[in-house]
Amino acid sequence: MKKGLAIVLVVTLLVGICSVAFAAVTPYKSKLHEVLERGYLIVGTGSTNVPWHSINEKGEYEGFDIEMARILALGLFGDASKVQFVEQASDQRIPNTLADKVDITFQFMTINPTRAQQVAFSIPYYTEGIGLILKTGGKYKNYDELVAAVAAGQTVTIAILQNADATANVQRMVAGSKDDQYESQGLVYQAVDSGRADAGAVDLSSIKWLASKNPEKYTDSGFAFNPQNYGAAMNPYDQVWINYVNQVLLDCMTGATYPLYTAAYEKWFGETPTAPNIGMPSMFRAK
Amino acid sequence: MAYFINFGLIWKYIPEFLQGLGLGLVLAAISLFFGMIVGILLAFCAISKNKFAHRFASGYVTVLRNIPLLVLTFFCYFGLPDAGIMLSKNASFVFALSLYAGAYLTEVFRAGLKSISPGIVEAGAAIGLRKYQVMLSIQLPIMFRNVLPSLSNNFISLFKDTSLASSITIVELTYLARKVNTITFRVIEVWLIVGLMYMVTCYLIAFLLRLIERRLQIK
Repeated sequence: MKKGLAIVLVVTLLVGICSVAFAAVTPYKSKLHEVLERGYLIVGTGSTNVPWHSINEKGEYEGFDIEMARILALGLFGDASKVQFVEQASDQRIPNTLADKVDITFQFMTINPTRAQQVAFSIPYYTEGIGLILKTGGKYKNYDELVAAVAAGQTVTIAILQNADATANVQRMVAGSKDDQYESQGLVYQAVDSGRADAGAVDLSSIKWLASKNPEKYTDSGFAFNPQNYGAAMNPYDQVWINYVNQVLLDCMTGATYPLYTAAYEKWFGETPTAPNIGMPSMFRAK
Repeated sequence: MAYFINFGLIWKYIPEFLQGLGLGLVLAAISLFFGMIVGILLAFCAISKNKFAHRFASGYVTVLRNIPLLVLTFFCYFGLPDAGIMLSKNASFVFALSLYAGAYLTEVFRAGLKSISPGIVEAGAAIGLRKYQVMLSIQLPIMFRNVLPSLSNNFISLFKDTSLASSITIVELTYLARKVNTITFRVIEVWLIVGLMYMVTCYLIAFLLRLIERRLQIK
């Protein structure tokens, strides 16, 4: 009886030791492996902000955020279509990412120190700014003309979304101009359309998209300021996954997959980004 | 997250709020004036035996009363410049509000004119007054006295409607409230104060107009 008990104890001990040893040598399973095993990528995004993320007539997601997600899927599976998009409101971006409801969030998310305490950001894939949109064929053709008009004593009105810094921002853009603060971005465009405002202060990406899609209606003034980086958000406790995403994004902006990023940029912003350098890697050059 | 009420941050904006309130009253008063002109003209059209005039008045009232004021405001502010009519912010809002008020006042004045006994109008004609003299000296004074309570209500409604002027960046009370919200983020306090200011002003207007009504009452 005693001998039997001793055997059971020894066997249990051995099994326990083996389990611990096995666990110690099993490689850490990253989100990267989970996604590869699953066979598709789950991306959190929105659907109401052109040119970043919207739904087209066919019911498909499209926009620059969507293109970035597809570039990542292409890197993972060699197939850009292997993405499942999960629609989320702006305030759900961090909770969904942390709760692993999505593998990654591509949703024009500004990188800032406070958010970076909660989620891990990828390297930036776009630097947003505030620009000035003009009406094509309107009173002013570019930024210099706006400034010259103010200097000449004319009243230049700039429409802007109402916010705490609106007046200060308008003065930083065109000192001496007058600001009209609207309650929605749509009304800012209407003010420009109707000639109520000489220019509208909106996101530069929106200006580029509108000016490229409707050149007969809108013109980019050529002025922008207030840079802020957009990055993808991920769970901060998975460095393997974060590294992988960064590698893919870095490569599409500066390396072999550069044509993918260029095509997306041209499609949504109507411009061709500068080509990467040959020789010393682009990211290590000041300009 | 708990929200702690703090009015301390709002007090310094009260002088600005009062200016905004004053602008709202001025916009309402001017719109009431022009609205009354539209209303009186169309009210006479509405009771006229001329079919065209009658239908025109009826069509105007139907169309304008079924369009939201905000839509009318946007049409006058953003739409008219495309037709070459560029009114200033204040003028375009007063124009929209006057058109809108005109539709409601047409019905008020039409009812006021209908309430005048035909015998009085006939008496005026019998003593040799011309048609316009009957209108000016008999119908209009009696009508005004009859419709004064409705006119008061319309003025209060118009004053409250001036909050829509904020949508076209007119710096009235609601616009200022939104602006202060973006600066202080004291949303509850700001809307409580602004709501109270609207309420007290409307109450005072009603009180003053009731006094005038009592004075004009036939004893």
